Amino acid sequence: MSSSNIYQGSESFRVRLVLSILSGRPIRIVKIRTQDDNPGLHEYEAGFIRLLDKITNGTKVEVNETGTAIYFQPGLLVGGPIEHDCSCQRGIGYYLESVMQLAPFCKKPLKIVLRGVTNDQVDTSVDALKCVFFPILRRFVVDDEGLDMKINRRGAPPLGGGEVFFSCPVRKQLRPFQFLDPGLIKRIRGTAYAVQVSPAMANRMVESAKGLLLKVIPDVFITTDHRKGVGKKGSPGYGIVLIAETTKGAFLVAESSSNPINSGKPPSVPEDIGLEAANRLLQEIYRGGCVDSNCQSSTLLFMALYQKDVSKIMTGPLSPYTIKFLRTLRDFFGTQFKVETKQRSHEEEDLRTGCDKVILTCIGVGYTNLSKTVA
Amino acid sequence: MDEDIFDKKKQHRERHAGRKAEKKKGKNEHQQDLTAQQRNPKAFAINSVKKAQRQFHRAQDLKTKKQHIPLVDRTPVEPPPIVVAIVGPPKVGKSTLLRCLIKNFTRQNLSEINGPVTIVCGKKRRVTFIECNNDINSMIDIAKVADLCLLLVDASFGFEMEVFEFLNICQVHGFPRIMGVLTHLDYFKDNKQLKKRKKLLKHRFWTEVYQGAKLFYLSGMVHGEYQRTEVKNLGRFISVMKFRPLQWRTTHPYVFVDRLEDITPPQDLHLDQKCDRTVCFYGFVRGVNFKNHCGVHIPGCGDLRVRDMAFLPDPCPLPEKLKKRSLVDKEKLIYAPMSGVGGIVYDKDAVYIDLGGSHSHKDQKLDKGEDENEMVTSMGDLQAGVDEKIAQSQVQIFTDSAPITSVDAESFKLPSVNVVVDSTGRQRRKAVFSTADEQVMIDEEEEDDSEDLDEEDLDETEAEDSKNTASMVNKSQTVQNESLIFDESEEEDERRSIKKAVRKSDKKISPTKKLRSKLADVLDENESEVEENFDSDAEYDLRDVSDRDDDGSEEEPMRKKAKVVSRRTVQTGNDELRKKLKEVIESVESKLGNQVKKKNRKVSANGLEDLENSVGEYDSDIMTGKLDKEDDESDEEEELSADEEKASDEEEEASDEEEEESGLQWKTNIAQKAAEAFYERQAVGANLRKLIYGSTEQTRNETQGEEEEEIGGLFKIASRATLKANLVTMDEFDCTKWSNAPIQDFTAESVLESVRDCFVTGNWKESENAEELLRMDDDSDFDMEGDFEDLETGEIHKVSDKDQKAISDQEDSDPINKKTSTGPVDEEAERQKLIEKKMKLKERFDAEYDETEGGGQKSFYEELKQEVDAQANMNKSEFEGLDDEIRVQYEGFRPGMYVRIEISHVPCELVSNFDPTYPLIVGALLPGEENIGYVQVRLKKHRWHKRILKTRDPLTVSMGWRRFQTLPLYSIQDHNMRNRSLKYTPEHLHCMATFWGPITPQGTGMLAIQSMNSSEPGFRISATGSVVDQDKSTQIMKKLKLVGTPFKIYRKTAFIEGMFSSSLEVAKFEGASIKTVSGIRGQIKKAVRKPEGSFRATFEDKIVLSDIVFVRTWFRVDVPRFYTAVTSLLLPASEKNKWQGVKTVGQLKRERSVRAEVNTDHLYLPVLREEKVFAPLVVPRSLQRQLPYDYKPKAEVAAPLPGSKRDIEGKRVAVVLEPKERKVLGLMKILKTRYTERQDKLHKEAVQRIKEHRKKVEASEEQKLKRQRELKQKVSRVLSKMEAKKERDFGKIRKKKR
Repeated sequence: MSSSNIYQGSESFRVRLVLSILSGRPIRIVKIRTQDDNPGLHEYEAGFIRLLDKITNGTKVEVNETGTAIYFQPGLLVGGPIEHDCSCQRGIGYYLESVMQLAPFCKKPLKIVLRGVTNDQVDTSVDALKCVFFPILRRFVVDDEGLDMKINRRGAPPLGGGEVFFSCPVRKQLRPFQFLDPGLIKRIRGTAYAVQVSPAMANRMVESAKGLLLKVIPDVFITTDHRKGVGKKGSPGYGIVLIAETTKGAFLVAESSSNPINSGKPPSVPEDIGLEAANRLLQEIYRGGCVDSNCQSSTLLFMALYQKDVSKIMTGPLSPYTIKFLRTLRDFFGTQFKVETKQRSHEEEDLRTGCDKVILTCIGVGYTNLSKTVA
Repeated sequence: MDEDIFDKKKQHRERHAGRKAEKKKGKNEHQQDLTAQQRNPKAFAINSVKKAQRQFHRAQDLKTKKQHIPLVDRTPVEPPPIVVAIVGPPKVGKSTLLRCLIKNFTRQNLSEINGPVTIVCGKKRRVTFIECNNDINSMIDIAKVADLCLLLVDASFGFEMEVFEFLNICQVHGFPRIMGVLTHLDYFKDNKQLKKRKKLLKHRFWTEVYQGAKLFYLSGMVHGEYQRTEVKNLGRFISVMKFRPLQWRTTHPYVFVDRLEDITPPQDLHLDQKCDRTVCFYGFVRGVNFKNHCGVHIPGCGDLRVRDMAFLPDPCPLPEKLKKRSLVDKEKLIYAPMSGVGGIVYDKDAVYIDLGGSHSHKDQKLDKGEDENEMVTSMGDLQAGVDEKIAQSQVQIFTDSAPITSVDAESFKLPSVNVVVDSTGRQRRKAVFSTADEQVMIDEEEEDDSEDLDEEDLDETEAEDSKNTASMVNKSQTVQNESLIFDESEEEDERRSIKKAVRKSDKKISPTKKLRSKLADVLDENESEVEENFDSDAEYDLRDVSDRDDDGSEEEPMRKKAKVVSRRTVQTGNDELRKKLKEVIESVESKLGNQVKKKNRKVSANGLEDLENSVGEYDSDIMTGKLDKEDDESDEEEELSADEEKASDEEEEASDEEEEESGLQWKTNIAQKAAEAFYERQAVGANLRKLIYGSTEQTRNETQGEEEEEIGGLFKIASRATLKANLVTMDEFDCTKWSNAPIQDFTAESVLESVRDCFVTGNWKESENAEELLRMDDDSDFDMEGDFEDLETGEIHKVSDKDQKAISDQEDSDPINKKTSTGPVDEEAERQKLIEKKMKLKERFDAEYDETEGGGQKSFYEELKQEVDAQANMNKSEFEGLDDEIRVQYEGFRPGMYVRIEISHVPCELVSNFDPTYPLIVGALLPGEENIGYVQVRLKKHRWHKRILKTRDPLTVSMGWRRFQTLPLYSIQDHNMRNRSLKYTPEHLHCMATFWGPITPQGTGMLAIQSMNSSEPGFRISATGSVVDQDKSTQIMKKLKLVGTPFKIYRKTAFIEGMFSSSLEVAKFEGASIKTVSGIRGQIKKAVRKPEGSFRATFEDKIVLSDIVFVRTWFRVDVPRFYTAVTSLLLPASEKNKWQGVKTVGQLKRERSVRAEVNTDHLYLPVLREEKVFAPLVVPRSLQRQLPYDYKPKAEVAAPLPGSKRDIEGKRVAVVLEPKERKVLGLMKILKTRYTERQDKLHKEAVQRIKEHRKKVEASEEQKLKRQRELKQKVSRVLSKMEAKKERDFGKIRKKKR
């Protein structure tokens, strides 16, 4: 059997497990929050392991008594119809990101229903994933039949109650990916949602967000999505997700949401939230690139999981998460990305396009979906 | 001159009309310049639409049939040598052919050929020859790596099983090119017979390979070699052969090893001869890029992991410059390390000159007396030197503890100091340890760049410590002193950890570089004090560290304590030092302030604090920990930014007290500036890579986790990296969102401006701007200067000079234009530019429209092909310019590179039983392929294999790189997708086989062998197949009928027992359909209490108590989890082809002559049926009375009438004869018989006689009749004559009368 990697601490927990599954190498993580007041694995991490166990077949997980060390021996990805109740400590995005990374490599097409918090302040919301990560996933899986995502219900922290359906086709291998020119932003779309609060909140957020965005582009359209509560399950909350779409099909996203109820923080003002989201979107635009900063790592993962061919992408500055991800990726697959700052060409010199961009190049590891059945 | 003119003859003028012209025309035959279709278009018109459609369809079919899915061409620029394997049964002339080929290519005679021989055989072609011996293991391995197989066949004998076996192996593993070679043709004396034989063999070969496969004939031997011309031809074919990519090999890198070297440390060998070895394998990388540190499989040995890889200069390079068409003799290189030729061998760090080859004087050596060499050889045999022997001596400190060897103590040694002066003039002392420690040192230096101050004082404690180490020998030391057992190097390590603690607690000492140098001076003066202070400090922390190992929970308080102590010591003991420090810091601060201003960074020191907050831990992480500063130092830019960072660090602290004083102006725009600064830093692209990956080794160490070294079985060295990680990033919050990203305030107009051109509403790139493009278009029209081609008429309009002049005049008159065209040079340049632009536009236009046939849309296939080509080009060009060292990190080792692969934990048998004639392959495994699971293959028993295969019988499988033994379970898929298990493989049908084995990509070929033993007759390959699926569990079912009996029956309901053993089981089967033997169907309803496992069931009809009820179920069969790699290479030479794994049950029984015990119940016995004796039928009298007469039983047959025949005969008495009477009677009988016999005879004779007599009578009668007839004839003739005469006479009379 292959040798195991040993890691310490809870950082990049998801990435380590996901890569472990994809590479088939067992891992051992020790000293998880040994110094913490609340030592060991948290509920949401345990939930994540359970979710992985559902997606895979033959996974072995050993957790020590205090939960400060785990041994994870991955099985094969099977997929199929799955339902999972996510922990409300984290958003569904926390789980869905990893699920999306694994989904194309299952044995059977994945059809998963996740329940929990759809939008919160911490994790990438499901709306953002749908708007940004989906177009990227679509580029990797050759045709997008069966690639689908639906937000059935919204749920805000702390009680959640949201539900998301995600389905993804299975591929033997992905397509190579070269995306160097993001184009120019042609329109901005968005959703302002309000759960169990007055619908006026949504409109107020839209107003303030538009106020800033209309300064740069006239094509701004933000829908409002007001949901009534589902019984006593959910908790009130509202927020806004903004998406910028470019002429070449790149998407950038930013979001902002209200402070959760009973969090000890003062209640948020919708105008502030709208403005904050718009500001964040502009910041994201300032960073630029062909993929959003949230999706950098997933995109790079798919690039690495191709045949032994060159893939290339331009991004904005790498987020700390991406940098950590790249390191972990190298541990598992031995892939190193060639990273270079994009040199501005002569004609671009005096354009005001935000900060310098980064070009990442890699050769795939020759990964094929080992669990898919051939006819 | 004049004469010449006049002398000139009048030229001939050809007639175009008139008689002569016509005549000439008549001479030339008329030539048809129209095609048939043009002349007679009707003949070519579509008559039948259907036919035309069919024709078109067929044409398209043929076209698409030729198309293959385009594959990305991954062949490298300089490909590795092609592997040519010479295969065949023994004694067909493989070695001779190999020798001849080598001689043909290199003009060298190799006396002894062992292992692969690489040769430069052409300008762009290298070849590795390998001879394959007759072992099936070798054949399998060779088939996996060979690009071309020369299949040798003894023509005098014909094809042998080995040939077909090899062909089958090839087929499974991708089918490399195969060329047949017939030898021993001189055996045939008769030419006709030879021809016949050739033809026969050729056709058989063609059916096996493909029609028209190349078959060579080596007609005879001359002086023990094949004929030169024939070998030359063969060689030519080899050197121009083209290959198509094979699926497995274009996805998996591999190295065909041409040399290996055991680099196990001799002391390990000395300790244990059979310890696992560290081995270096050498060879060319083939296939695709070989990644360092990846998992590999060595067929015949097992799965291993590459410890390290390095590329070496090519030992057999292609000629660099070609001056001539053919190779010069010098360029005809040969590299055969195991055969002992090839001269120089390049290793990673050394060059060896191999003298053991053809030029060595082996014989002489042998001639010399052995005693002469004894001393030298014994020295060579020495496994360990004196120093090593010393090294092996041990010291035990405590009775329970493991003894400390000097190997442990190695790390006690003082590191040698390597002084490096960097660009700023600072002296950095690189401690050079034995390799392992070195890394740690480097790490520390990276981390603690800013803490050199502490280091320097602490270094002084070394002297103290050395004293302590001296006392180490004293066992009377108390636990307090346990720290002293550490040697200096470790002590230093420990101290560094303390330093960090110190820094945390007392941050005021964090220095900048300049400050540092000053401090160093100060510290020189203060040496002694510091020494004392830190001594106690150090000791304390050492204890802390040792405690840390004991228990994690204790860790925290201990460290805090340590901090406190360190703080205290610094504060109390260092007053003097402190004063001086303050002075220095102040001075530096002022300087720094200036510096900051100079750099136009208006952010004050205090401001940077906020910056720090906003940028978050991210920065601190990058700037302090992960950046490999040692490398960066040379980079000025990086240095500066780092400096700033440090400055900020320091200022931050220093300004804590001063904050109240300074105004709040700096706070304006802070976030904005911070963000800008952040992005600026990331933009320094050269270091981006280092920022992510750090120096390669460093992070590797980190990932390896904490491999804590143990010393003397007592103490552990906590590695620095882990401690550091503990403090900062280990438990960082796991979130994709860049939550603490620096954010600018875009409500400000100036900030908003910075992204203005990201939108379509902003400025576009010149090349994309529509306005610009339009303008350019117009320009280019002008630029044409009036020339244009009328596409419709095909005329080319040119502007006359006059017009041109007009245009230029016009231009001149235009003031703006005039201004721009300052000189002719400018004008020319501009024109050139415009032409270029035009060309570009035209190119783009062409690319879009013209290239496709008929201007139509590009076909899907073409597009795909183009895409693939583009990808291939990109693959080639992307890393082209890079240095090999870096390139290797990005893309792995390219095929064609000569590499050295270091692998540890190799079984010692691989080295000790190494035999160069067996191919050695290092095949890389892709991610996931190192795992084990249930593999499902579609399998078919080979037609030529005699017996069918039994399920769960061991089978040796070759799949991917691996050869292994496993226990397959056969199954077949039913129509409802259920896998039904089979006991045996079907005879001529595919079935599924599932076994526990290595996970291999789907579609990989698979080959199964029952026994490796070559002595067994028959075809050894028992089955072939391909991988379909893999999983971690299986669903193979077996039919199972559960039987029960009813114990109570109510109408259609019955209670049934004996089918299940518990009600739980019943619950599982509720609703299942059941059936009685008589065919009445029913359903299981519900379990009942009383007899456990019984249930209520309903049926379609009433059943009887004697019925048997059964339910049909499916039972999951487990696949045995057995997998063992074939380790044929580990066996000694004589047993290499006799690897034996698990035996079949049958084999074992046969060997031990165990017979299966027969269950007598299962035996067939003759069926004995007793004759049934029925009681006589008795009809009751009352019944009889009622019966009609006919049916009434008749009592007796009536008595015969007296005097009747029956009566008389019934009354006759048997006569018993006396003996005499009997004799008489017998005689009478004889006489009577004789008489009748006689009568018979006489009668027959009489009949015969009568017959003859009758014949005679008949004949005489006939005669008589004949005579009478003749007489009659005569008479009647006479009569008729007379009549006629009478008539004549009468006639005459009548005439006369008239």
